[in-house]
Amino acid sequence: MTPLGAKLERRARRIRGLTAVRRWEYRQRDLAQGAWYRLRRLLTFAAEVWALEPAEADRLLAEGFVADPVGQAFEPPRVLLVIPRERLLRVAGKRPVVICLDCGLLAERWLALVPWSSVSPPKDAGRP
Amino acid sequence: MLTGMNFRGRLLATLRAMEPVLEVPGILVVGSEVPNLLEQDAASTLVVSQDVDLGIPIGSHGAAKDALAKVRGLHPAPEEPSVWLPDHEGLIEVNFLGIDPELGDPGEVWVLDDPILPLLVYGALSLLSAGPPVEVEGLRLPVPRPAGLLLEKLLTARTAEKGDRDLLVALGLLTQMDGAALAEAEALCAGLQAELRHAVRANLTLLTLIPGRLGMPDPTAGREMVATLLARLEALG
Repeated sequence: MTPLGAKLERRARRIRGLTAVRRWEYRQRDLAQGAWYRLRRLLTFAAEVWALEPAEADRLLAEGFVADPVGQAFEPPRVLLVIPRERLLRVAGKRPVVICLDCGLLAERWLALVPWSSVSPPKDAGRP
Repeated sequence: MLTGMNFRGRLLATLRAMEPVLEVPGILVVGSEVPNLLEQDAASTLVVSQDVDLGIPIGSHGAAKDALAKVRGLHPAPEEPSVWLPDHEGLIEVNFLGIDPELGDPGEVWVLDDPILPLLVYGALSLLSAGPPVEVEGLRLPVPRPAGLLLEKLLTARTAEKGDRDLLVALGLLTQMDGAALAEAEALCAGLQAELRHAVRANLTLLTLIPGRLGMPDPTAGREMVATLLARLEALG
C-alpha cells in the first residue's frame, strides 16, 4: 500500500470503529443504554413540552394518564406524561420547555408532552 | 462568513472547473452541497460547508483520472490527493469519494489505493442512484436521487459538530422531497438490515433535538415533518 493509501486506511479504520459503536448501540437498544433513544423518540413525537408542578403531575396520574417508562430509566427519575392539548389547557402552573436536549429540558423532573395532531406513531414501536 | 450569493458563485465556478470529471458517466455530485443545488436555480442558501464532494464509481476511476488531467484552477493536496485544493479564492475545495455499487453493507468502507487518485469507498454511497441532472447557467450537474442521499446522510457514521451539520443537510433534503420521493426513501429503508433501519430512526430523533445553526435549515421548523417520517419508518418494523 502507498503511504497515501495507508493514510486513508487509518481513516477507514476510524470509520469502521464508529460503525462498530453503532452496532453495539443497536444491541443495547432495549437495555439501559437504549433509554436515550427512547427518550429522543418520545420527544420527537411531541409537538409541545411543558414543565409541570409535582402536584399537577400527580393529578394527571390520578386521572389515569400513564407515565412513559423511559422516565424511570434516568436518575433522578422523570415523570413524562403524554396528554392531549385539551387537558393541557387546564393544567395550572405549567411552563413551556424548549424541545432540545441542550436547552434545560433534562433539568425538569415532571413533564407533559402534547403529541402532534397530524402524526400517528405505531403503537409500542420503540418500546423494549 | 460568506454570503449565500458569494458561495453560490464559488460553488458553480468550482463545478464548472470540474466539468470534465462531471461528464464521466456515473460520477455524481454528492454530500452536503446537493440540497443547495436542488434549490430553485441552485440558489445555494444553505451554508453547509466550504467544499463539494464528488462520488466516483470505482468502475469510472480510470476515466475520472483522465478527466482530472483536463481540470484547471485546482490541484491535488500533496498529502491527500483525494482532495483537490483551489488555486484562488473564487473556487472551493473538492473531495473525491468512492462508490462501489456492489458493496452490500452500507456500514463498510475500504480504500482504493492509487498514487494519483486514492479513494475512500463508502458503502453508504451505494444507496445513491442518479437523479435528474440539475441544469444551471449552462452547467449540467449529475446529482443523486434525494431519497438515497437522505438515507446515506442518516446512515453515515458521524460525531459531534460535523454530525449535527450532516443531519441538518438531511433536513435540507427533506424539505425539498415530495410524496413520491418520501415513498422512495421508505422503500429504500425497508430494504436495509434492522440495525441500519434503527440507525436511520435514531438519527431522525437526534435531528429534532439539535439546536439550529446560522445559514442552515431550522430543525425546530422541521420537527413535524421529521416526526411524520419517523412514524412512517417505524411502521416498516
